[in-house]
Amino acid sequence: MKFDSVIVGGGLSGMVAGIALQKAGQSTAIISTGQNALHFFSGTFESLLSPDKRIQTLFSEAGVRLHYSPGVRLTPMGTFREAALSLEDIDLFPTPQFARKVLIVNFLGYHDFFSSFLADGLEKQGMQCRVRFLNLPELEKLEQSPSEMRSVQIARTMDRIWEKVVQEIRVLLKDEDAVVLPQVFGLQDFSVPTRIRQGIPARVIFAGTLPPSVPGIRTQILLKRRYQLLGGSYLMGDEVTRAHIHDGVVHSVVTKNLEQHYIEASHFILATGGYFSKGLVANPFQVYEPVFGLDVDFKEDRNEWYNPAFAQDQPYMHFGVKTDASLRALKDGRPLENLYAVGSVLGQTRPEFGSAAGQAILTALAAADKILGL
Amino acid sequence: MNANEFDVIIIGGGITGAGTQRDCAMRGLRTLLIERSDIATGATGRNHGLLHSGARYAVNDPESAEECIRENRILRRIAAHCVDETDGLFITLPEDDLAYQQTFVDACRRADINAEIIDPDLARRMEPSVNPELIGAVKVPDGSVDPFRLCAANMLDAKLHGGQVRLHTEVTGFIREGNTIKGVHTHNHQTGEDADYYAPVTVNACGIWGHHMAEMAGVKVGMFPAKGALLIFAHRVNNVVINRCRKPSNADILVPGDTVCIIGTTSTRIPFEECDDVAVTPDEVTLLVTEGAKLAPSLSSTRILRAYAGVRPLVSADDDPSGRNISRGIVCLDHETRDGLKGFITITGGKLMTYRLMAEIATDMVCRKLAVDKACETAVVPLPGSEEGSYEEVAKKIWEAPTMAQKAAASRMGSRARRIRTGNKRDDALICECEEVSVGEINAAIDRMDVSTLTDLRRRTRVGMGTCQGEFCACRAAGLLAKAHGCIERERADLEDFLQERWKGNFPIGWGDTLREAEYTQWVYKHVLGL
Amino acid sequence: MKLQEYTESKHNFEECMKCTVCTAYCPVLQVNPLYPGPKQAGPDGERLRLKDPFFFNKALKYCLNCKRCEVACPSGVNVADLIQSARIKYDHTPPKLRDQLLASTDFMGKLARPFAPIVNGVTGLGVTKTALDWTLAIDHRRSFPKYSGRSFESWLKHRRKEQAAFPEQVAYFHGCYVNYNYPQLGKDLVKVLNALGVGVQLLEKEKCCGIAMITNGMSAQATKHAVHNVEQLRQAVVDKGLKVVTTSSTCTFTLRDEYPHLLGVDNASVRESLLLATRFIYEKLEKGATLRFKPDFHKKVAYHTPCHMEKMGWGIFSEKLLSMIPGVEFTLLDSNCCGIAGTYGFKKENYEVSQAIGEPLFAQIRSVNPDVVACDCETCKWQIEMSTGYTVMNPISILAEAIES
Repeated sequence: MKFDSVIVGGGLSGMVAGIALQKAGQSTAIISTGQNALHFFSGTFESLLSPDKRIQTLFSEAGVRLHYSPGVRLTPMGTFREAALSLEDIDLFPTPQFARKVLIVNFLGYHDFFSSFLADGLEKQGMQCRVRFLNLPELEKLEQSPSEMRSVQIARTMDRIWEKVVQEIRVLLKDEDAVVLPQVFGLQDFSVPTRIRQGIPARVIFAGTLPPSVPGIRTQILLKRRYQLLGGSYLMGDEVTRAHIHDGVVHSVVTKNLEQHYIEASHFILATGGYFSKGLVANPFQVYEPVFGLDVDFKEDRNEWYNPAFAQDQPYMHFGVKTDASLRALKDGRPLENLYAVGSVLGQTRPEFGSAAGQAILTALAAADKILGL
Repeated sequence: MNANEFDVIIIGGGITGAGTQRDCAMRGLRTLLIERSDIATGATGRNHGLLHSGARYAVNDPESAEECIRENRILRRIAAHCVDETDGLFITLPEDDLAYQQTFVDACRRADINAEIIDPDLARRMEPSVNPELIGAVKVPDGSVDPFRLCAANMLDAKLHGGQVRLHTEVTGFIREGNTIKGVHTHNHQTGEDADYYAPVTVNACGIWGHHMAEMAGVKVGMFPAKGALLIFAHRVNNVVINRCRKPSNADILVPGDTVCIIGTTSTRIPFEECDDVAVTPDEVTLLVTEGAKLAPSLSSTRILRAYAGVRPLVSADDDPSGRNISRGIVCLDHETRDGLKGFITITGGKLMTYRLMAEIATDMVCRKLAVDKACETAVVPLPGSEEGSYEEVAKKIWEAPTMAQKAAASRMGSRARRIRTGNKRDDALICECEEVSVGEINAAIDRMDVSTLTDLRRRTRVGMGTCQGEFCACRAAGLLAKAHGCIERERADLEDFLQERWKGNFPIGWGDTLREAEYTQWVYKHVLGL
Repeated sequence: MKLQEYTESKHNFEECMKCTVCTAYCPVLQVNPLYPGPKQAGPDGERLRLKDPFFFNKALKYCLNCKRCEVACPSGVNVADLIQSARIKYDHTPPKLRDQLLASTDFMGKLARPFAPIVNGVTGLGVTKTALDWTLAIDHRRSFPKYSGRSFESWLKHRRKEQAAFPEQVAYFHGCYVNYNYPQLGKDLVKVLNALGVGVQLLEKEKCCGIAMITNGMSAQATKHAVHNVEQLRQAVVDKGLKVVTTSSTCTFTLRDEYPHLLGVDNASVRESLLLATRFIYEKLEKGATLRFKPDFHKKVAYHTPCHMEKMGWGIFSEKLLSMIPGVEFTLLDSNCCGIAGTYGFKKENYEVSQAIGEPLFAQIRSVNPDVVACDCETCKWQIEMSTGYTVMNPISILAEAIES
């Protein structure tokens, strides 16, 4: 099978590249080992330098609305972190004091939303907090399974009964000017977060939960749908096992599912992510890139891979595939002519992009531009 | 009588201290146990968890061997819910001297250890993970014992017999009158409170820290801190303990324990200053994997969960730099006869699985000093949780059709699992999915087992001991602890400490899936949760 | 090998990062709270089962074996293989008579086929359905697949000479469904392949692939079938140098992957030569072969990716093939399980769950409103036809209809 471009890795970076290339008229395929880091997405891009209109357009055409408003976001543990760009249903505030009085609403029996930590964090910022638990019979079916009172399963129920939740919150609400809810709305019915906001006479803030991230999965569904509507082929659950490279040019890749049916392309993009998604693999002796055998920038001495303090910056997270200035990946010290590396497989080497998500998007667009000769 | 007065004060919340407190309490004494940190934080919780048959010591230390096999039989009865009756193999590899096997078996028989030479083929069938190259095998009644459970059960029984326990409380000095220790000054690290406690006898059961404790009391106990490093593999590779049939050496025991298996150990003398923070070096990791793979070749390609090290409280006998030749035997010192200091005794040496005997010896000495004449019953009275046999029977007895979490709870708590609130959806919800720990089990531990921190909770329930190393369960459990203790600020710091403690054991083996998990944990806690 | 250079574990269970992504994509979990979910039943449970078989959980039987957890897993854990292997290893409950009957698709076919009009009439009767429901707990709301009067094998045997005349030859593993219930699909395949200059042979003697036996706790019988079929395939592939084509995604998946992964039957000598017909045809066309399409053909086709097709990753061939037919207006449906999962949905106790699982797919089909739903799996076909009223065709049959005879 032959395509103009093949993207190895179907996460945020791979899909952004795929959408940009399909939009420009290319035929492309995305090969993805499984689901991806969007499932753990906080929904915000930290300190992205400029409100790149192109990014917002690309996302909004897929049905993912972003808003740019540099400030802070509320974390699930009740702290505040810097952020610049976020999904529409995730608020950014100029300062942490976003309200006077806050009602925090959780579901009885739900342990993945940290209402007491949130309350403590908000009170530290001078906001008065009240925590209330909703006891919904509709969630009882989930609770019958001891491990399934989790974000995604709750979100499926909420897509059906969100109006009831709005009613109950309206009853609970006294003089609070803000309500904090877990991010368990709008998994399949994407309009739910907006409709909840319209239904509650106070500012509604959706705070994160333990993964999987409902806004993240929604983003994944929408971007993938957009990519397929543009004619892209998304090979989910397949894995590139090796590549045919001759004279500095990648000719084709071999996948676990298609085996001897090689996938050929004029250009390739490597968007396989960091260690979690096995874009980078570590053993006691080295850190390597398993698909193309690319050059990886890492420290020889394993003692230098880690900071013994968990909270400190970890050197291993900066290791990544080496590229030239055009993001062309290096192999044996020389750039491959038609292979671009984007996203987390580069390691945290591009601080100017602010965050992993920012790096994923900006490098993907840059690689797509190179391929299109822009 | 004053509330701060006791018959005996025991310093040290390891297995020796807990066992001694139980024995003293069962003989009717009013007991207080003081521990500066949590239960089983020293050598107790930092070894293989091997229920020795004694075979390992049979050739070189017959006295220890005899102690081991006697205690082995006793623990199977009184600590059924802490013991896994796996049996053990002593294998001879092609590079080992097969002639040693006979010496070994003869020594075992002299010590009354049932050691049986079996066909290598049978050994391979008995334990499929064993190195298939083996040329000889001896089957012995080894097993594994969970040190946290054992320690907690002893302490619980002491409390059921009226004993009092102060955890996270450090002894800062002794109250002395002339040549007599009358009591201790303490400082509670969690509440910040200082308190004095009085008793006619104080027992120093601090393991390697007993060296300092003795110094503080003005006597000298020559101890030898021997560090032993171990690795935890992420699942059970073997279901039978595998040992090398040769003179004891590095990394020659592989023990299956609960959902994991453990290879160890090394033996290195370290300075006393390092005892509080022992780190595993890359060389030790390499040695453990290399030697371990000789016992079970699949260890060379099995995910490693953690590396950790403990410090054996050996008592110096000679200048052997490794400490291997020092007797693992029990040392009980009456400082009155030895040093002229009344009201103070030191119990040390020994092994995890001879703790009961150590406790009996120490308690006998305490009773003599207090002129109490009551026989020791710890060899016959089962520990709380161990009264009703195997966890399978217990689980089926308590619940007709036990769920996974109920089975797991029974395997951890034995018949005490009956006290977990269960059978309703709120209590049955899982906090730790790797190890199947429910809300009910966690609340039971918080209510009854002196839990202050997440790390304390881990020792009592296995929360955070599984594959994800607390990635998901730590913050869920922190929510429950915050609710129980009513202090969010403290819990936030506790959560950070817990993650740091997990990372300490992860980074020495930070590659492959362990590094993937670590990257994911970083992501979840720093970026998603914003800790 | 260097120590710890790489790590490995049974079905990769140690690669699980506990990220819970699999649980978000499990169709059973969404509707059945009794099922512990792929993470708990798979990698989490495995560590406990290794400690003690006492920790085997009978609720693993609720797993559909759809493999969607494996497709979703970012870590490459073979979650469903772990679950099914655990069932094979630890669940010794003898299967119910009902399950045995449902699982024995070729035995039932042989028995029923000579009496097809009677059987079809009888199984279609309300009274029989009620009786089956009562006696065997086969849900009365199900419609039964019809049995054909003449088997596909006998049809093709009569054309042996004519087929042998083609310059290129393939063997066809038709499966029980084509043989006993729907020989037309086999005939359609012969038509398309003949148009490409390829003649079709039968294997010496094929048996049911055994997937229904695996999921119904009859792994010993399934293994016997596997050993037999691998030998039959070996004769075709190794001795005669033929490729073997199939028209059922589930049979293909079972022969290629479930045999070695779940039953431990080595199929290495034949695996590469065993291809779904859509892939075989696509590859021929890619290499320059041509088909003559009817000029006036027009159909709005919505393609449903069956679970095992999703796992195999070969849906792309069916999609590309259908899209290249002039006059086909193609829609790719979101990849969701239809809920039937082989024999699962036939069981009375699973009916509600089965229909609830399929509902998102049915809703999407209704909103697309195609002329025909295309799909490479026979059990999906029954389920979708029964639940939506839309006609479901194998891509091969659509292709056969679109080409000049």
